[in-house]
Amino acid sequence: MEQTTLLTVEHLFCGYGKTEVIHDLSFQVQAGERLCILGPNGCGKTTLLRALAGVLAWQGRVEAGGVLLNELSPKQRAKKIALMSQFSQTAFDYTVYEAVMLGRYAHQSGSLFSAETEADRAAVEEALRLADAWELREQSVTKLSGGQLQRVFLARVFAQSPQIILLDEPANHLDLRSQAELLESLQNWTAEGERCVLGVFHDISLALSFADSALLLEQGRALAHGLVEELDVSLLDGLFGMDVRSHMKRMYGRWMVR
Amino acid sequence: MGILLAAALFALLLGMGVGSVYVSPADILAILAGRLFGLPLPEHIPASYSVMVLDMRLPRVLLAFLTGAALAAGGGVMQSVLQNPLASPFGLGVSSGAGLGAALVIVLGLASAGLGAFLLPGVSLGFALGTVFLVLAVSAKLDRGMSNVTIVLVGMVVSLFCNAVMTLLATASPAYAQRIQLWQLGSFSMREWSAVWALLPVTVLCCLYFLRYARELDVMTFGEEQAVAMGVDLCRVKGRLMAAVAVLVGVAVAFVGIIGFVDLIIPHIARKLFGASHRRVLPASVLLGGAFLVLCDLAARTLTPPHEIPIGSITALLGAPFFLYLFFAGRRDD
Repeated sequence: MEQTTLLTVEHLFCGYGKTEVIHDLSFQVQAGERLCILGPNGCGKTTLLRALAGVLAWQGRVEAGGVLLNELSPKQRAKKIALMSQFSQTAFDYTVYEAVMLGRYAHQSGSLFSAETEADRAAVEEALRLADAWELREQSVTKLSGGQLQRVFLARVFAQSPQIILLDEPANHLDLRSQAELLESLQNWTAEGERCVLGVFHDISLALSFADSALLLEQGRALAHGLVEELDVSLLDGLFGMDVRSHMKRMYGRWMVR
Repeated sequence: MGILLAAALFALLLGMGVGSVYVSPADILAILAGRLFGLPLPEHIPASYSVMVLDMRLPRVLLAFLTGAALAAGGGVMQSVLQNPLASPFGLGVSSGAGLGAALVIVLGLASAGLGAFLLPGVSLGFALGTVFLVLAVSAKLDRGMSNVTIVLVGMVVSLFCNAVMTLLATASPAYAQRIQLWQLGSFSMREWSAVWALLPVTVLCCLYFLRYARELDVMTFGEEQAVAMGVDLCRVKGRLMAAVAVLVGVAVAFVGIIGFVDLIIPHIARKLFGASHRRVLPASVLLGGAFLVLCDLAARTLTPPHEIPIGSITALLGAPFFLYLFFAGRRDD
């Protein structure tokens, strides 16, 4: 099967002020791929996502869907790459439908009289159904449970119609069933093989069961990158400074890798 | 929204009609028509009513409406930009800057030196804008991303500093202390058309500008990181909106003094009634804020004749119970 590269990252450097967090990082993600980014706290996982999403300034060369990322306007970039942030919430009383419609921002022209188009409404409906949040559409986002809220934010990311979705700890604070449903929605989203997902997960076994490939980060550098099945688990032991497999077996009774 | 428009018009008519002499809404309309289209007045309306309603009450009522609209719209925008339900344009230093400017003019005796009625508003507007610029410049220096926490903190520090200087000025020149204090409490007694003509275009333009950014404002309430990732050119949009808020609120405050509560509470009431989308919140805030301040001013000048109650205390006095009622009434529906 021929593969198209959706995301190419070459010699990426990024940090906060004078503290450099990502050092000379290079990797590629193919269409249809689900990549999980693993590493201990502070290794630069979230920083990498924030750089790709345009939140942080970076140096290097990043190509997304065949175009150079730094040559795109914020709206053009948002049509390629969407971020499901770890901290998104609002104090204000939007309905779920309104909140997901905001995902269409990059596709709308900014003028006093611009209105939502039929295409916007169609994309929002599809996104809500795909994220299993259609039934919630008239509820207020301030009255949802954590799991429902994550589904709404996932729908908003779908509504942005990107080629690449970046997930920052999407399964945090979710119960098992909500986790499973969330990841299933994402698997369906990539199933056609034209889009890809990059996810940061706190839970290694969840990450490895969701993803096809893994990128191991150690202090802002790539330690390894490859298919999950071919992953050398001893690298994880070194990365986290413990026997990951036996810990997992102790905690969950099994080592969850397909 | 139609009901709100009707309520706002009713508040305007009420503001023009009630006072030492009561003029009925029908008579006010007749007087307005008389002035606008040159129609003869009906016989039962004395000619002096026309002067009273159109030249004394109308500019005052319009000034109150425009101020309320400006404060409420500016407050709503700041709350969304800073993602903070307690944010207000005054937190950027608009009010304390304006207050310092006004205090300087008063203490230096320039206000009565015949330099024109625009000197005090002009200087306080200059100080208001200067203060906001200082706040934003310091925030940008401290934190290149200009995060909301930095802006709120720097705004608070600079505001407190300006207030301290103002207090110092007032203490050093006790003769003017009362005037400074009265200015701070706000008043519409400067009922001149010139103030209306200055505030009207600024209010209309700024509110249209805010409405143009309604979608960005919606997106920004969900967090800055998320807003950037969704395609908002955050620093630019944020800077432009805050500059517009500073100009709008600065001009309003320069003419009428510091009137609290409206900027903070009216946007919340608008959200409660019409949902959070800024396409509805902004127009609703303008109408609600305007009508609210007209009614507050009405109370301020009619409750204890011949003295006026400072408008700034009326807004909180009337607004706080109303706000609580609205929120607890809404709570029961859930």
